[in-house]
Amino acid sequence: MSALSDRPFLRLFVSPAALIAVGFSAAVIAILQFSLRAYIPGELEPGGFSLGNFAQMGKPIYARAFLDTLLICIETALITLVLAYPLAFMLVRAKSRVLKSALLVTAVTPLFLGEVVRTYSWIIVLGNSGFVNSVLLNLGLIDRPLQMMFTTFGVVVALVHVTLPVMVIMLSAAISHIDQGYEKAAASLGASPARTFLTVTLPLSMPGIIAGVTTAFAWTFSAFATPQLIGGGQVNTISTLVYQLGFASFNFPFAAALSLAGLAFTIIVLALFKRATRPLEQLGGQA
Amino acid sequence: MSTMLTNTQHLAPAAQSSSRRNTPAVKIDGVSKAFGDTTALHEAWLTVEKGEFLTLLGPSGCGKTTILNLIAGFLESDRGEIFIDGVPITDEPAYRRDVGIVFQNYALFPHMTVAKNVGYGLKMRGVPKAEIAQRVREALELVKLPGYGDRKPRELSGGQQQRVALARALVIRPKVLLLDEPFSALDKNLRSAMQVELKQIQRRLGVSTVFVTHDQSEALSMSDRIAVMSAGMIRQIGSPTEIYRQPTDRFVASFVGDTNVFQAERRSPSTVSVGGVTVGVRSTDVYDPTAEPVADLFVRPEDLAVADAGTPGTLAGRVTAKVYQGGYTDLYMETPFAEGSVMARLNGQDAVARWPDGANVGLVLPASAGVAFSASRDAG
Repeated sequence: MSALSDRPFLRLFVSPAALIAVGFSAAVIAILQFSLRAYIPGELEPGGFSLGNFAQMGKPIYARAFLDTLLICIETALITLVLAYPLAFMLVRAKSRVLKSALLVTAVTPLFLGEVVRTYSWIIVLGNSGFVNSVLLNLGLIDRPLQMMFTTFGVVVALVHVTLPVMVIMLSAAISHIDQGYEKAAASLGASPARTFLTVTLPLSMPGIIAGVTTAFAWTFSAFATPQLIGGGQVNTISTLVYQLGFASFNFPFAAALSLAGLAFTIIVLALFKRATRPLEQLGGQA
Repeated sequence: MSTMLTNTQHLAPAAQSSSRRNTPAVKIDGVSKAFGDTTALHEAWLTVEKGEFLTLLGPSGCGKTTILNLIAGFLESDRGEIFIDGVPITDEPAYRRDVGIVFQNYALFPHMTVAKNVGYGLKMRGVPKAEIAQRVREALELVKLPGYGDRKPRELSGGQQQRVALARALVIRPKVLLLDEPFSALDKNLRSAMQVELKQIQRRLGVSTVFVTHDQSEALSMSDRIAVMSAGMIRQIGSPTEIYRQPTDRFVASFVGDTNVFQAERRSPSTVSVGGVTVGVRSTDVYDPTAEPVADLFVRPEDLAVADAGTPGTLAGRVTAKVYQGGYTDLYMETPFAEGSVMARLNGQDAVARWPDGANVGLVLPASAGVAFSASRDAG
């Protein structure tokens, strides 16, 4: 408050953010008013005020979708974390420049390809006559193709690939801030490399882990192209349902209600996550 | 019962060390280390006796930190062998060396309390919880921080953090304690207080200590012996008095303590003359009668006296500045027999009053307190 009145030019700096905030709020308000109107089948214009959209959400199919989406998000975030941590660690600590560049290219280039392109490449890999299945069939390890397309497994694999670059970037930022003097100190006090990692390096990278998991979760929750293309209607997440309701059934009011519920759901889950990880966050609490 | 057990465990390391009382705590045999084309350490030979406080003194890049890292196991030597307590440890990883280290920036784990920091090494050794608590308490009492166990390192001042770092290194009863410029981050008053305290603790525990510093006054005041290093080589090892009074090397003579350099000529293996005045020297390099007789005579400021101008047996000089230091006064003079200015450290008030700025004086060289080294030898 006082910073703004002391230095009036700071108001200017805030204005782009304010502009976006206004636009975003307007969109949310528009969705909110749609969600509170009745759906008239066969009409694009919604009817009068109604709470019916929210009441419908209690139906098992939607409750199921929330649960499935939550599980997909948790699985994706955790698998991404497990895969990204060693990558990020090597990226920060590797001595060889060649190895560092190779890791950086592998980890970060997917960012430049968009979600849809990456998802299509997974269709080529996971399909019944795709890369994985043809290799396994030719090796004689299986006699029938494994069903990976249109399954939750396939969706999670592709989502992990989509979220990995961001996780690697966030984790390596955290790891690069860990003074290696702490690890030397641990070694001098008798800690083996494994115990040094578990008692010093990992706790000190906790802020990065929490930030990375939060981002991966939110990102996965809102992912649309990947579950839509790989799931092919067999895997329902909140975002694919919103799409189907809005653009296949033209039930805009219910689609609006469902997306608002999804937003609220994400906020609640992340708030709970933040509360649960507060003690962990303080582990890495160095200035 | 439990006290009995604890006591036996307390005694165990002491009993073991008494059986090998004559084994040096650390022995470094011809160890070399290079980083690429740069030689960081060239054939170092060094022993640290049990209970000894040995200082590695030298300018930055002289190889002192390399020795410390080699003992700790953070670096591998290219050649030579290192023994701790008589056991070769060159192939042992850092975490199996039983070495306690106080780092320059302390490296206290920021995510652990003071007690957890101090107890870390004991936990890694599988010491039972109750004994850890007991020993951590004792260690914190030793460094005068009782009751600080529950604080986080960031809540402590620099001096307190250093005490915690010291307690953490000592609580494991290391075979050798390594101190890496531990005072450099402290302000001047705190630094001298901590120096005295560290020395007292070291004495009381009798822990063999290797101390790395570039501060020569710190080295002189704290050490049992000092190893002076430059350019990857140990130039001289000796007691503080030997290092200060009888340097055997040109670099040592100029690096440790204030000194005046006179241009001299060698007269015999133990005498030199400056401007016709012949004096004896305490220490010199090899005298070669066939070589050029040019030498540099190093004289400490407190050994240089001042007399009235023209007094026989003195060197002509002129006062250029006086710096009053409280207990003594530094009198700066110029003389044709030294390249830079020379300085005499005088005690008496009246002596100082006698020679105002610009006064002509006679410099009195000490009869045999200086040291001489060939001028042609490199300064290192």
